Amino acid sequence: MLPEMAAPAIRTSRLTKDYGVGRGLFDLDLQVSAQEVFGYLGPNGSGKTTTIRLLMGMISPSHGTAHVFGLDCFREAVEVKRKVGYLPGDVPQFGSLRGSEVVAYLGGMRGGVDRRRVRALAERFDLDLGRRFREYSSGNKQKLAIVLAFMHEPDLLILDEPTSSLDPLNQQEFYALLRETRDGGATVFLSSHVLSEVEHVCDRVGIIRDGRLVRVAQLDELRRIRVHRVEIEFAPDTAVPETPIRDAEGVEEVTISGQRVTCTVRGGFEALMRAIRDAQVVDFISTEPSLEEIFLSYFSERKPKALPP
Amino acid sequence: MIAIVFGLRLGRWGVVGFSLAAFVSTLIQTVGFYQIAGHTPGERIAFGNSILALASQFSALFPPPIRPDTVGGYVEFRGFHPLAILFAVWALASATGAARGDEERGIVAAALGTGISRLGLIAARTIAFAIGVVIAAAAAAAGFLVGVASGHESVSPLGVIEASGLLVAVGLSCYALSLLVAQLAAVRVATAAAGVLLLALFLLNSLSRVFDSLSMWRWLSPFRYYDLSQPLPLGGHFEARAVVVLVGVSVVAAAAAAAAFEFRDLGSALVRPPRRASRVSNTVSGAAWWRWPVWRGVFERRIATAVWAVGMAALAIVFVSLTRTIVQVLLSIPSLLPYLSIFVRQQVYPGVLGFTWFNVAQLLFAAMAITYVARWSAEDSDGRLELALSQPISRAAVVVERVATLVACALVIVAASGATLYYASHVQGIDLNAGRVVAASLMLIPFALVFASAGSLLAAWNPRAAVGLLGAFAFASYLDTELGSIYKLPLWVQDLSAFKLFGTPLLTGVDGRNLALLLLLSLVGLASSILAMQRRDVGA
Repeated sequence: MLPEMAAPAIRTSRLTKDYGVGRGLFDLDLQVSAQEVFGYLGPNGSGKTTTIRLLMGMISPSHGTAHVFGLDCFREAVEVKRKVGYLPGDVPQFGSLRGSEVVAYLGGMRGGVDRRRVRALAERFDLDLGRRFREYSSGNKQKLAIVLAFMHEPDLLILDEPTSSLDPLNQQEFYALLRETRDGGATVFLSSHVLSEVEHVCDRVGIIRDGRLVRVAQLDELRRIRVHRVEIEFAPDTAVPETPIRDAEGVEEVTISGQRVTCTVRGGFEALMRAIRDAQVVDFISTEPSLEEIFLSYFSERKPKALPP
Repeated sequence: MIAIVFGLRLGRWGVVGFSLAAFVSTLIQTVGFYQIAGHTPGERIAFGNSILALASQFSALFPPPIRPDTVGGYVEFRGFHPLAILFAVWALASATGAARGDEERGIVAAALGTGISRLGLIAARTIAFAIGVVIAAAAAAAGFLVGVASGHESVSPLGVIEASGLLVAVGLSCYALSLLVAQLAAVRVATAAAGVLLLALFLLNSLSRVFDSLSMWRWLSPFRYYDLSQPLPLGGHFEARAVVVLVGVSVVAAAAAAAAFEFRDLGSALVRPPRRASRVSNTVSGAAWWRWPVWRGVFERRIATAVWAVGMAALAIVFVSLTRTIVQVLLSIPSLLPYLSIFVRQQVYPGVLGFTWFNVAQLLFAAMAITYVARWSAEDSDGRLELALSQPISRAAVVVERVATLVACALVIVAASGATLYYASHVQGIDLNAGRVVAASLMLIPFALVFASAGSLLAAWNPRAAVGLLGAFAFASYLDTELGSIYKLPLWVQDLSAFKLFGTPLLTGVDGRNLALLLLLSLVGLASSILAMQRRDVGA
C-alpha cells in the first residue's frame, strides 16, 4: 500500500467557504475512511455542492484545509484528481459531440481510456454511446456522467446527487455498482437529499444544514431519524385496530377518520405491521417526507438538538 | 409585456455594449473630423477629395460618400456605415441566440411552459431586439450630436433621425432574416447558415458596385436599401420607400419565422433529412486525436475550421479580383499617379491588396478570436470547464491548450487563405513576392494571439462579460490605429493596438519590433490569464 493510501480518503479541518450573508460552508471537520461509502445528506442549498467543489479544488477555501489521501485539494489538485472520479451535480453540455467522443475527449485528458471498462459500463446502463449528446434524454446524460466518473476505476468517487434523473431500475443498478466499487477497495463520497437513497448504500452519513455539519451518524442512527407518513384504509366491515396502532412502537400522530388511519412511523414498520395484521387492509400508502421536514422534526431552526437514543 | 422585458433582460449586455460602441464611434469620428479636416473651405475641399480617393479602395465595403468635406458626409461614411455592419453582426448573434441558443439552454421550453404562444414568443423577442437597436441607434445619434456641438456647428435634426432610423431598419431586417434561417436549420449550423446568408446578401450588394453583372440581383439585399439613403450630409437624400421595404422585410421574415416555429419540434429544424437507422454502440471513439493535447481541440473544431478556411480563401479570391478593378480605376485618375508612385513605390497591386485584403483579414481574425473566447466563456457556464478540471490536468494547461488550439486552427486558415491569395493573384497577373505573402499571412497568427490572450484573461476573470469586453477591446484597438495619429496619442498608446502593430507586411515586410511587441502583448495576456485562472473559483 502506498504511504498516502494510509491517510484517510478525505479529511477536512475547519473548512470554510464564506459567500457572505450566511451562505456557504462553515468550519467543516470531516473524516472519511478508505473503502467507506459516505453519504452527505442535506436539503437543497445546504452546502453539499460547495463541499464537493472544495474537495475537487474547483473553489478555494476562505480558511481551513481539505485533503484527499493526504494531498491538499487545492495546491495538489492535479495529483488529487488522478485518484478521483467525479460526477458533478449538473451534467455539462457537450452539444454535438457523440457520447463516445465525450468519453474519448475526457479520457484523453487522463492519458487514455480503458475501452473494455467503458463498454461494460455502457452496456450495464444500456447507454448508446453512438448518439449525439444533444439527443440524449436527461437520464442518458446522467448515465454518461456515471460512465465518466467510473471509467478509470478511481480510488475515490465524489458524486454529487448521482441518481437524479435516473429511473428506478437504473437507480438500483447504480446502487449495485456502488457496492461493487466499495468491495473493490474504492471510497465513495456521495451527496444526496434523499434519506432512503443514502440508507440503501452508505456506511455512514453526514448531515449538513445551512452550511454546517449537524451530525455524522451511523446507519442505525439514520434509521432512527427516518420517518414515514402512512395512510391505511381498512375494509368497510373491519374494525379499525385503534389501540394497537396507537400503542405500536415508533407510531406517532395517529388520526382516525372512519376507516382511514393516518400516522407517522419512526424507524421500522415491524410494530405497525403487527398492530394491523388481523385487520383487512384495502390500501396502504407510505410516503417519505422531505429532508427539510425531517430536520424540522428533529432539529430546532437555530440549534440542533441531540438525536433520540 | 413580461416576455419583452425578459427578452431585453437576456440581451442587456448586447444593448449596453453596442450602444456604447455606437456612441463612442460616432463621437470620435465627429470630433476627429474637426481635428483633421481643416477650417477653411479650401482645406475642407482638399480633405474631402482625399477621403473620396480613400473611399474608392473601400467600395467593396461601403458606398461612396457624399460631401465628405462636411461633418455629416464624413461621419456618415466613417461612423454610420460601419455601424450598419456592426448592427448586422449583432442582429445575427442575437437572433440565432434567441431562436436556438436559448432553446439549447431550455429557456424557450420554460417560456412556452408559462403559456405564451410561439407566435407571442417570437414577437416578444423581436420587439425586445427592436427596442435594443433603437437605443443603440439613439446612442449613435447622440455621439454625433455631441461631437457636432464640440465643433460649434449645427446639423439638421431630421437627417440625424433619418440616419438612426436607417440603422434600426437594417438591424431589424437582419435580425428577422437570421431568425427565419435559425428556424429552418439544425441547431449546430443555425448561426453559420444565418451568417452565410447575411454575408452573401452583403457581398451581393457591395460587389454590385464593382461588378455590373450583380447589379440586377442587388434588390434582394437589405443592405441595398440602406445604401439608397445618405441623409446626414448637406445635399444628402433619404429614401423613405427603402425604409418601408426594410421594415416590410422584417415583418414578413419574422412572421415566416413564427410560422416555421409553429410547425417544428423544439430542438429540431423545420426541415429534417431522414435519419439512417443505426445500431446501438457501446464503444469509445477510436480517433487517436482525442488523446493528444491541442489536437483534440483542433479535431473537435474541424468543421468550423474548415468553414473558416474555405470562407477566407473565397474572400481572398474576391479581393484579388477587386484589386485589379480598383487599381485600374485609381490609375485612370491622373492626379493620383504621383501620389501612388510615391506611396507604394511602383508596387501598386501589392500595396492595394495588402491594404484591403489584410485589413479585412485582421478584422476576421479578431472576430475568430472572439468566437473562441465566447466558447471558453460558455464552457465555464455550462460546466465543461468544471468537468475538464476534474481530470488530472492543471488550470495552466487548460489555458495554454485553449490558446494553442486557436493558434493551430488559425494556422490552417492562414495556410488556406495565403495559398489561395498567392495563386489567385498569379492567375490575375499580379505578381506577389511569395516570401512576403507567407510572412504577411503568418503575421495574422500573433495578431490573433493578442486578442486570444486578452480574451483568455477576460474569460478567466469574468466569463459572463468576456465577449462584450473583448469586443470593446477590439473596437478600441481598431479606433486606436485609426485615430491615434489624428489625436496625436503617445506612441506607446498607439503601439498597444494590434491593428497598428500588424503593419503592412505584404508591402514592406514584417517589422521585427512590431512582431516582438505583438508576441510580448500575447505573452503578458497569457501569463495573466494563467494567474487569474489559478486564483478563481470554478463553477461557483
